Amino acid sequence: MKLHPDKKLDIELVLADLDLYRPRRKGWFWRRPVKDQQIGPFTYYDTTENLKKSIPLPAAAYFGGIDPQCDYVITTEIASGRFEDDLRRMRMAAWHGADHIMVIRTTGQSHIDGLIEGTPEGIGGIPVTRKQIRASRKALDAIEDEVGRPINFHSYVSGLAGPEMAVLFNEEGVNGAHQDPQYNVLYRNINMHRSFVDAAEAKSVMAAGGILQLDGAHNANATAKEAWKVTPELFVQHAVNCAFSLAVGMTKELIALSTVPPTAPPAPKMRLDLPYAIALRELFLGFPMRAQQNTRYMESDTQEAIVTHVLDTLISRLAGADIQSTITPDEGRNIPWHYNNIAAVNTTRQTLMGLDGLSEILEVREDDSMRRQVRELKERAVLFLQEILEQGGYYAAVEAGQFVDSGYYPERRGDGISRRVDGGDGAGSVTPREADYGAPVCGHFGNNRYAQGDGKPCDEYGGCTLCDPSKIVYIDELDPADSVNERLKVPLEERRQGIVRPEVERHGDGVVCVTLFIPEQPEVAEAAALEMVRHMNLSDPQVISRRIMHPAEGSLFEIKGVLDMPIRTDLLPKSKDEELLSNEEIEAWVRPRNIHLVAATVGEDEHSVGIHEILDIKHGGIERYGFHCHFLGTSVSIERLIEKVVELDADGVLISTIVTHSDVHKGHMRHLHRLAVERGLREELLLVAGGAQVSDQLARECGLDAGFGRGARGQEVANFLVRKLCQRDSLR
Amino acid sequence: MAITERADDYTRRKESLKELDDGELHEEFWKLVNQVVDPMVEEARTHTTPSIERSLLLRMGFDSSESGRLVKRMEELNLLGHGAGHLVLKLARTKGFRVREAGLALLNGRHWDELV
Repeated sequence: MKLHPDKKLDIELVLADLDLYRPRRKGWFWRRPVKDQQIGPFTYYDTTENLKKSIPLPAAAYFGGIDPQCDYVITTEIASGRFEDDLRRMRMAAWHGADHIMVIRTTGQSHIDGLIEGTPEGIGGIPVTRKQIRASRKALDAIEDEVGRPINFHSYVSGLAGPEMAVLFNEEGVNGAHQDPQYNVLYRNINMHRSFVDAAEAKSVMAAGGILQLDGAHNANATAKEAWKVTPELFVQHAVNCAFSLAVGMTKELIALSTVPPTAPPAPKMRLDLPYAIALRELFLGFPMRAQQNTRYMESDTQEAIVTHVLDTLISRLAGADIQSTITPDEGRNIPWHYNNIAAVNTTRQTLMGLDGLSEILEVREDDSMRRQVRELKERAVLFLQEILEQGGYYAAVEAGQFVDSGYYPERRGDGISRRVDGGDGAGSVTPREADYGAPVCGHFGNNRYAQGDGKPCDEYGGCTLCDPSKIVYIDELDPADSVNERLKVPLEERRQGIVRPEVERHGDGVVCVTLFIPEQPEVAEAAALEMVRHMNLSDPQVISRRIMHPAEGSLFEIKGVLDMPIRTDLLPKSKDEELLSNEEIEAWVRPRNIHLVAATVGEDEHSVGIHEILDIKHGGIERYGFHCHFLGTSVSIERLIEKVVELDADGVLISTIVTHSDVHKGHMRHLHRLAVERGLREELLLVAGGAQVSDQLARECGLDAGFGRGARGQEVANFLVRKLCQRDSLR
Repeated sequence: MAITERADDYTRRKESLKELDDGELHEEFWKLVNQVVDPMVEEARTHTTPSIERSLLLRMGFDSSESGRLVKRMEELNLLGHGAGHLVLKLARTKGFRVREAGLALLNGRHWDELV
């Protein structure tokens, strides 16, 4: 499947022949660093290979359109509930520099004891099934070809079906996954024996597929009332998962810590979060770091969230990280909208590019105060471990409520999460292995009669699915009524008809967001804002953000609503705004060609500021591209202009006509056209007019090739001339 | 023992760690962590679960529905401790079936009495 930048992802093509699709590779991909890389006018210290296709940051336009790629993998989390819509979001994110696509699972999948199949719709995420994974991997394979960098696909190996999910991920080329039995125990109340026994198998299968593991410790940040006080415990949670993973055969390079700077301004974030980040990296030397951005203190103000996330990313740069996970700025108010995934990715790459080479000029001061804080955190963690053992081990400690207490350990508030050792989902489902226990497959952990001697455990029957993928049995759909084919009927039909609607999450959901400042007291202002939005014909309006500017002077609201208005794209007025050629492209075409232009302000008109702006090199005018501009001055007659054209064998005429009384400007334009026709010059001569009251339409009505009004720039005029001259050359 | 409210007695408790330099503190940390996880690793080495057994059958070429039904029946018959994959492979061996054939025969209700 090959993608074209100017064509939408073809979902029907993605879904075709899925039963035969095989992932092209397994395992995690790290970006490839390029030392001291020269990109545009700059040398970068912390960048990796450039992309083939991307959308640079807006300011890149001033630096030759460069798009340097930082050294961290950039994650975006996607959760619309419909994978067919998520694929488009993945493509947009990849074009903005994301290379780790994390697909959130539907609510409640953790509690399903087995795999789900087909493409049922999810809530807050998708049901992770073989078909949805395979379709996503297939689309991502095409997207990574398009952007020119491998993309890591990621989801969750947790819940009651961890080992099966791990097999599915290994078979289908999923590159990263969350796996942490403590998450099951603490946040999903899945039985602890079951969670740890399952986890060993799941991790073993993940290791066999080179799948990068993230742990679940960051959830304690998101849960604890005062997230910065849970830091000593976070060391312990990370360590339990790391040590358990190593013991069951994972290698250190595949065991990543999921860590979040715990606070947000107005807390003194850097002072609190940086010593924690440093202590963590010292204790866990050699384990990859997935730095997450803070969610715990997010409110509905997206700008506030973005600033916090910039500071989080600064901490990553100061303390070190391998993956920078991004959080959409709207996560505090709704399930993320797709353009906010892009906003989060851009916040992160903008920050990281701005911080390129920071370590060359700055280092964290390792003074007594910093060392004391780092040491204290580690000591508190060691004390926490001592108490686990005093309690009688991990299970007993969880039952006693030692975890996710809001006290700063060893302080305790007695509000920790307590789970019964013999309780929770899946209690009683763990069975001792008999003496003859056997598992004739690869990636298995623990006692196994088939793991003796040389050869693989699956040799006897010609190989397991991890060795011979042709044995994988693909289930397409179990419930056709709740499937992608059913959901796509309307969108595909609308697309065929050229119908388009606004959207933020799913195809044509119609959701739009309106920003209003209302100069009233908050309550009155809110009621007024909602009423105004109703008058804009938005249904179901809801305030998603409110910011008081002053208790009496007014408030700012963001209100979402649904605009039920299908638009037929084929009936839209044709836009003349084509994409401008770049300065470099224009110059490269013009300079070798010896193009002469004659210019003047015509009639009884002494205005010359505008035409100088368009022509003069010192005003950024078109001379800089290599056009030979012959400015004849002001109050010039059309006849004189045409004589000069003949004399110079000019390619084009630019007239400025500012005075408009009695429509004299129209008269000049018509006269120019007529005289050029009479002299037999018109076919080869481009005629362009400019002026405050000139429009492109008006100029064309008067017989000219183009008109430029107030605010036009030299680049636009040059773009027009080059495109027209190109066209003329190609017709010769 | 259930953990109740307690003041921050870090200053008193940390006395036991004051002799350790940073490197030794790290060693102590990882030593304790390994003590915490060792029994759970051992439990995993010697136990199994329905999900593990279903994951084995997936790897042997059965789909999720087939794996689910086979493991459920084996659980009911108290056979899971032998390993679902092992039971299917053993049946295939004795009957001269392919692995998939053996599993499908079981799904059709045949040969359950020969599994043990």
